[in-house]
Order: sequence, then C-alpha cells, then structure tokens
Amino acid sequence: MSTFEDRKVTGLVFNIQKYSVHDGPGIRTIVFTKGCPLACRWCSNPESQKPQPQMAFNPTRCISPAKCNFCIPACPYGSIRAVNGALDIDCTHCNDCETIACASACPAQSLIVYGKNRTVEDVLHVVAQDSIFYSRSGGGMTISGGEPLFQKKFALALLREARRRRIKTAIETCGCVPWEAMEEAAPLLNNILFDVKHTDSEKHKWATGRGNELILSNLKKLLETFPDKPVLVRTPVIPDFNDDDETARSIGRLLKGYANVSYEALPYHRLGTQKYMFLGREYPMGEVSLPAGVAARVQAIVDEERGAK
Amino acid sequence: MSAIEMLNPEACECHSPQEQRIFDEQKGKKDKYYDTHARVFDLIAKFEGQTPVIDVERALYFTQSMKETEGQPLVLRWAKALMHIAKNMTVEVEDGQLLLGRAGSKIGRYGILYPELDGDFLDIAVRDLPTREQSPATISPEDAKIVMEQIAPYWKGKTYHEALNKALPEWVHKLTYVDDEGLISRFVVNETSSFRSSIQWVHDYEKVLKRGFNGIKAEAEAKLAALDPASPVDQADKRPFLEAVVIVCDAIVLWARRYAAKAREVAAVTTDPVRKAELLRMSEIAEKVPAEPASNFYEAVQSQWFVQMFSRIEQKTGTTISNGRMDQYFYPYYKQDMEAGVLTEEKAMELLECMWVGMAEFIDMYISPQGGAFNEGYAHWEAVTIGGQTKDGVDATNELTHLFLRSKREFPLHYPDLAARVHSLSPDEYLWDVAETIKYGSGFPKLCNDEEVVPLYASKGGTFEEALDYAVSGCTETRMPNRDTYTSGGAYTNFAAALEMALRQGKMKKYGDEQLGVKTPDPRTFKTWDDMWEAYKAQQDLFLRATFTQQYIVTKVRAEHFAQPMGSALHDLCMKYCLDLHTRIIPEGANFGYFEFMGFGTVIDSLAAIKKLVFEEKRITMDQLLEAMDHNWVGYEDIQQLVKSCPCYGNDDPYADEIGKAIDRICVEFAQKYSPEMGINNDVRYVPFTSHVPFGKVVSATPNGRTEWFPLSDGSSASHGADVNGPTAILLSNYKTKNYGLRNRAARLLNIKFTPKSVEGEAGTEKLVQFIRTWCDLKLWHLQFNVLNQETLLAAQKDPQKYRNLIVRVAGYSAYFVDLSPDLQNDLIARTDHDDL
Repeated sequence: MSTFEDRKVTGLVFNIQKYSVHDGPGIRTIVFTKGCPLACRWCSNPESQKPQPQMAFNPTRCISPAKCNFCIPACPYGSIRAVNGALDIDCTHCNDCETIACASACPAQSLIVYGKNRTVEDVLHVVAQDSIFYSRSGGGMTISGGEPLFQKKFALALLREARRRRIKTAIETCGCVPWEAMEEAAPLLNNILFDVKHTDSEKHKWATGRGNELILSNLKKLLETFPDKPVLVRTPVIPDFNDDDETARSIGRLLKGYANVSYEALPYHRLGTQKYMFLGREYPMGEVSLPAGVAARVQAIVDEERGAK
Repeated sequence: MSAIEMLNPEACECHSPQEQRIFDEQKGKKDKYYDTHARVFDLIAKFEGQTPVIDVERALYFTQSMKETEGQPLVLRWAKALMHIAKNMTVEVEDGQLLLGRAGSKIGRYGILYPELDGDFLDIAVRDLPTREQSPATISPEDAKIVMEQIAPYWKGKTYHEALNKALPEWVHKLTYVDDEGLISRFVVNETSSFRSSIQWVHDYEKVLKRGFNGIKAEAEAKLAALDPASPVDQADKRPFLEAVVIVCDAIVLWARRYAAKAREVAAVTTDPVRKAELLRMSEIAEKVPAEPASNFYEAVQSQWFVQMFSRIEQKTGTTISNGRMDQYFYPYYKQDMEAGVLTEEKAMELLECMWVGMAEFIDMYISPQGGAFNEGYAHWEAVTIGGQTKDGVDATNELTHLFLRSKREFPLHYPDLAARVHSLSPDEYLWDVAETIKYGSGFPKLCNDEEVVPLYASKGGTFEEALDYAVSGCTETRMPNRDTYTSGGAYTNFAAALEMALRQGKMKKYGDEQLGVKTPDPRTFKTWDDMWEAYKAQQDLFLRATFTQQYIVTKVRAEHFAQPMGSALHDLCMKYCLDLHTRIIPEGANFGYFEFMGFGTVIDSLAAIKKLVFEEKRITMDQLLEAMDHNWVGYEDIQQLVKSCPCYGNDDPYADEIGKAIDRICVEFAQKYSPEMGINNDVRYVPFTSHVPFGKVVSATPNGRTEWFPLSDGSSASHGADVNGPTAILLSNYKTKNYGLRNRAARLLNIKFTPKSVEGEAGTEKLVQFIRTWCDLKLWHLQFNVLNQETLLAAQKDPQKYRNLIVRVAGYSAYFVDLSPDLQNDLIARTDHDDL
C-alpha cells in the first residue's frame, strides 16, 4: 500500500487523547478505535464495544429543555421531547440515523455521538500536533480501543503511515484477533501492550464472552515470532475473578523465559460507570471493589513465577 | 500554597510531600526535617501566623533627613537620608539567628513605609490596613501618631503619585483613574508605577563580595579627585553623585558595624557558651563585611544579606529586591570552604535558611488599596536564581545549585522565591532534581528559559556574555545587572475592556454613559467579521496609545522623584557616567520596560465565538448575543453554552490561536514603532500577578460565556476551564500565538496544574523532565507547576468548570478529574491505600 492509499483509509474512532503518560514510553497520544470481540464485564470504555457509532446522553451536562432546546427540532425523527422539565429521548431510530443532528446541535456536549469515521490523514494530523513532545520524550502514538485490530485495514494503514512520518507506535490489544492481523501489525509497532485476563478459558468466557485459546496462542506466537519486540503483558486485577494466587502463578508461567517481556498488574477501577449510564446500560460489576494491596500481590507473584526481579 | 483546610485530611489517595507535611503537623507529629533544621524551625515558630506590624522608623528618619536637605541634588539627599537612617535605626539581634541586619526594630513579621512614593495614601492606610481583607497589617497607636503627625503631613503634595496624577493628559487620565485625585483606579489603562519606585531589580552582589563597599568608595573618591574643576557638568552633576556614593558606602558600613557592636553587647550578657561564641563570630564578621571583601562562605552570606536589607531600606523595588544568581556568586566561597573541610552541607544550608527566615519576616507592604489587590497574600518575589549557563555559554550548575533545591524541599516556608534557569543542554542530574522539587508540590522552582531570554537580550542591547549571565528578577522578569537600567512599573492594560467597548460603542456597563473609548459603530450594523475586527482594533489602538503616553510621562516624573545611590554604586554604567540609576536615559544602558496584556484568553475566545457563530455559521445574531450578555446570560443559558463550545485559546486550535497571534502582533508592532523615541523598550508582557481578579471586576459579560465581573483569564493561560486538550496543547497554543520575528516582547507567565499521582514515582519524574525539555525547545519564557490534590479535588467537585484541566492518575492511564462520575470522584478522594490506584 502506498502512502496515497493509506492516508485515505477510514476507520471508526471515538476519541483521540493527548498527553497520555501511562500507556507506553514517553508522552503519547492515544487513538481509540471502536469495535471489540470481547465484552468484559469491567470494561471501562463501554462505548468502544459496538462497531458502529452510538448515541449517548449525559443528563448532568444538559442545561434543561426549559433553557435550551436546540436538539428537539434538530432530530429528524422527532424522537426528542421535553417531559417534566427533562429530555425524553426515544432511541429507536438512533442506530439508523446518519445525520447525528442532535449531537451537532447540542451546545453543552450533553448529547454525544461515540464514534466518527475518520481518515488516516485526519487522525495523524491530530496526532502529529504533539510530535515535538514525542521526540523529546521517546513517546508517540498508541492505538487502543476497543480492539484496534478489529478494524485491521485501518489500523495497519494508520501504523504504516505513522511510521513513514517517524512517529513511534504502540498498541493496546486484547489479543483476540486472527493471528494474521497480529503478525502483520507487529513489525509496524515499537511496543505492544497485551492483555491477559485469565488462563482458564471457561472463566475467561464467563467474564468476557469469549474463551482465551486464541489469545494465549497469539501471545505465544507473538513472543516466539518476534522475540526482540518489547511486549508489556497486563492483567486487570478483578475481584473474585483473577485475584487469586494460583491464577497469578499460571500467568507468570506463561511469561517465563522471554527476555523482552515485562508485566504489569492493573488494579480494577470503576471508571466508565458513568458512561454505562450515558449509554442507557446497567454496569455489570455492580458495587464490588478491589481491596488495597491486591494488585501489588498479583504483581509480585507473577514476577516471581516468571523469574523477573 | 494556600493553607489546606481539610474536612478529612486523610482521605486523599496520594499526597504531595507538602500535603503530607501539613497532615503530619495537624496531627501534632514532629516535622520530619525538624531535627536537621532545628534552629530555623525554632525561629519560625516565634512569628508564624503573626499579623505583620508596621515599623515606622525607616519612614520617620527618611522624612526627617529629607526635610533638612530640600533644594540639594536628589541623589545627595537620598544618600544623606540613608546615612541618617543608618545612624539612628534601632539595631536588634534576634535570638537564635546567625545573620545580622533588619530593616526595622520590630522582631517578628514587619513591613516598612515609603512615604515618598505614595504618602498621600498614608492616612487611609493607617486607618484601613488593620482591617483590610487582603494582606492586613497592624500599627501601634504611638506609631500611628508618628505617621499622622511627623511623616504624612510633610509629603502632602510632594509624592510621586500626586505628581503623576497631575502630569497625565486628560484623555489618558480618564482611562487611568476614576476620580480627579487619582486615588481610584479605572482598571482600564492602569498605572502601576505609584506602588513601587521601580519595577523589580537585581544588584550585582558579586561586586560587593569581591570588592567590599570600601573598594567601591575608593573608586568614587578617585573619580572625585579626577573631576575637572572647570567643568560645570563634573562639578554640578558628577560631584554630587560621587559624594552620594561615598556617603552611602559609609552608611551601610556604619549600619553593619552598629550590628557588630550590638552583637558584642549581647554576647557579653549571654551565659550559654555556644550562643556566646556564635554572637562573637557574628560580631567579627559584621565588623568586616560589607566593608571589606568576603573571604569565606559565612562572610559572603552575611555581606549579601546586609546589601539586600539596606536595599529594601533605600527604596521600594517592585516585588522586593531580587537575589540574583546565588549559586554562582556564592560558589567560590562554598567550594573553598568545603574543600578546606571547614564547612558542611548542613552548616551551609543553615546559614542560607537563616537568610530565608529573615526574608519571611520582612513583608513587602502595599499600602494603596490597588497595590494590595495586585499582590494578595503578602506576595513576594525575591527570586533566587539557580542553574542556567555561564558567561561562556556552558552549563553553570554546581553542588550549590542542588543544595538550594534540597533546601526548597526541606525548609518549611515559601521563602525564598526560587527560579531555575533551563537551557537546551541542562544536565539530567539538574532537571531531575528540579522535577523532584516541583513534585514537592508548593510550586517551586519556577522555570525560566535561556533559549528565549538569551537571544532576546542579545538582540536588545546586551552582549552575549551579559545575556548569558542574566538573573531572574521578580515574578518572571530577568535582568542583566550592569546593562539594564531602571524603569518604572508599566501600565496594566485591560484589553477585555477594549473588547467590551467595541461592543458598546466605546462605553462600559460599569461606567454607564461615560464615553471612555472610541465611538465605533453599533455592532448590530456589522456586516462581516472584518467590521467586528476593525472595531476591536480601534479600541485596542486607543488603549495602546494611552499605555505608551502614560509610560513616557511616568518615566519622566519618576526620575524627578527618586534616587538610589547604593544601587547606582553597584552598577558599572552609573559609576562610569556618574549618573543615578533613576536617570531616565543612561548611555549604553538598556531599559526593559513592559506593559501588561490583561485578558488574553478572554479576548481571543470572545472574538472566536463572534467570528464563528455570528458571521460564519450565523447560528445567532449579534443582537441575540448582546441581549444575552446584557442579561448576564440569565435566561440565555443556551447561548452561553453555545459560545463556550467555540474554539478557545489553550487547545492548540489554529482557529483561536490565529486570532491570538494577530492581537499580539498589533501590540509588538506598536512597541516596535514607538519604543525608540521614548528611549525604552516598552514591550508586551503577559504576567498579571493576582490582578486579573480586580480587572475582571470592571468588565461585564463577555462573548466567551464569561459572566460579568468574573476574573479575566490570567497571563498567557487559557480562560477558566477552556483548555480541555491537556498540558501539551497549552504549551503549543502559547507558542503559536507569539510573533517570534519581532523582539518587542517580554515575559509570559504560564501555569500548569498536575496532581501528585500524575507525576508519581521515578517514571513520573522522568515524564516531567521530558515535558520541561519540550517547553525549553518551544522557547517559551516561563513555566510553573502546581502539583496539588485533595482540597483541589474537593473544590473541583464543587466547581468543575474551573478545574476542567486537572489530571488525575487512574489505573493504566490518566484522566481529567471532572470527567469522572461523582461517585468515582468520591472514590478517588476516599481511598486510603496510597499505592493501589
């Protein structure tokens, strides 16, 4: 693919976040793409899961129909009404709506549309705005999601074009993609952040909707096919799911003997609960929380098992 | 840096070291650094929390002498007044202190008066200061009587402020003051010259350390002997100047030796042998310096301290006198003593911290209500500069540089103001130490960028050696101590008011029917964006004309009212030409004045909203916008939200930044055209102190959605809550609104906020260093960080719009705090495990 072709490829992107300092080396910009093969119960980006644009409503930002009604006449289906001083939105037609006129009309960012088709050129224009920070910090672009390789054509074009422009690249992947996608992407990446949620496929399926066979096989192939590639394996530590010692030990064993692998246990957090509400969904995790120190314990066990200091 | 008043101080998930320290103190724990800094902690305990006391001695002796010398050359009168003060001012030795030298007799926190500057405010001040909301101070009834009977009456009709008030032409006066007496500021083209004799200043302290005042006196005497007896200029101008230098050299030495005698006196009655020995040593040192050159570190520190305290007595410099490049001029003495094994790091730090204690006791008093509003919270900027480059252009950091940073993390008060110079080759060892100190969380050090300052100074009249040797001075400004000459505080010009006038045909809501500005056409008749832009430009142009004319008059009036013999004695050019530093134009000198752009973000965002909504998208009419603003957005919240959703400065958005650059360009071009004929560089600056608050109080609702009387945007920072793209975008917008091709710019102040969690650990320090390096390469003038937490988070919860850019570390990434749900915000606030998020 030439640069002229790659620049025009489009993908569904729901956010570009600058000054990210915890997802790969240096100061980075994260490009969040839509669509994910998994549906983890703790997912903190629920708006990333569906591979289509999605309407959402944040009632706390709405300045109330008594004071503002730009959205009501804007909806081509007449689905927005004022009821008892609040907006009442019938989302029957939202999935088919291509105008997203209500979100454009809303001045308060209360009506939101998650996901917009953007070209590689457009995305990289935004990413390149911070290039001076990348060059001083060893940072660059991280593609995340959802699962970035869910939109394989877009992700690869974006990575190729970024590399042409000397922007360093990283990916946050759930690993649940055809091996060919991973194999094609890996050479275009400086860093890979790979999630391992559980070693038991049944449990994995219960929590994410899919078994883990493909994920673990991709991880093994990745580490063996690209032994020089820096890979950071991460586990979101979820209460009563993967926070036990035995699971940690089994994750550690997967990683033993690979020189360029590092590991990070991420404590469960409840970010994203608000976005479930915006999307009109229940938060699957309810009220659980992770006791203090658990993630640090998992980290220690995994590191011990894989033979890292 | 404000006191943290917590509902539940333990509730935060990660504390900055500063917060931790405060919590410990609240629980009655002994401070972690008490044992290693016991002397200064004990000194501080005696005055902490005390309301400052006004000490009248300086004003009284100054006035007494000035009464006796009327008609003589001003510089000579000033020197004689200083001699009178040196002879009579009470000298006290503070128990436990290792340094001698105070500008007053009152032990504890005190401030002094400068009636020559603004004595016409004195009666108001004596009445109001004790109950003033901003920076109050007390005065004893006896001292109040002295002020009212022996000081204030003499200065009636003689102060600088009164002279300026009379000298301003009517069209400038009405933009400057509301009333005929000039006691109430208009806050439009605001003069600031009457609350300080000069803007901030740095002395060449090294000269005193190397030569002593006896050496400088000898130079003056030699020059006196060489004067041409037949030359009228030599006899009428140079002679009194040189005589003044001789007198002032004697005055400071006399004053220091009175302290030496006092220390001996106290030693004689001291029974504790340790303290007795200390006092005798102090006495010996004060006998020697600042008369003679310093020969060790202790003498150097004491000598410098005498100079800065005498300088505070001599005149009120804006922002208190700065300290220059301390890690450079003290270093030879430090190195020599350390190598000889007669000094330890701890002992050196103790001496320096005794100086910080002295700084903390002296309050820079602003007696006019306006001065108070500009400098809330006993503002002080005695700028100790560290780091940067040598005169040869190589990195200048040394062991002492690191000692200053360590002291900043361990000494419990926010003294001194610490400024770290950064250049493209600043070593990691230094920047990491700087970043660790920033993470301490009290906002120090502030950073100043060699890559911006050095080329600008070299282009404006300094040699490369002088430019490379600059010192930070005051808030964000910088000085070349032997090339810069004095200048007056410049106008603070409220360009948000210019915007309001462009929408009200030259009037302001606050001032009713008064036609203050240009009568531009009714905005409802504007057909295109160009019409709007032209109306704004017309008002901005009027303001610039008033700003420059005011400043020109200020510089002339100032030279007739002030002299500064000691400061002049330390300046190469003053000694060369025998001219006082307050002389309006000194040959070979470079006068770096500035005017202040108030409301940069407010104006940009407002113009962007009008351009986009009224003229491009036509979503609202000008009439609708004006009506909404007239109602302060009440009942027009939809339009308020709409204007707020437009492109804003601070987001690396070219739509807004191009407007900012155009506005800046008008200012720098005006300065380029009219500065030369004034003989000064009157350059545009973006540094408001706390004045964006009072300036906001005269401006009604603005088209960026801001409500009436609300503060303006501050310095070159974005409007409140308008910057939503993170800190990299803030830096880039700043960069993109500068006109690098022209040199008529001065400082830009930039504030960035981080939470302790977002810069946590070694990885956090590293990213902070990388951020600083990028800032350096972007050639931005200044940068300072707030690393804060807890009370900020609670405040952010209550008022999210004001804290939209606050970053918090969450799990595998950072997020904006206000984007989190209330529950999560509580969750973050309520966590007690400091490692687990």
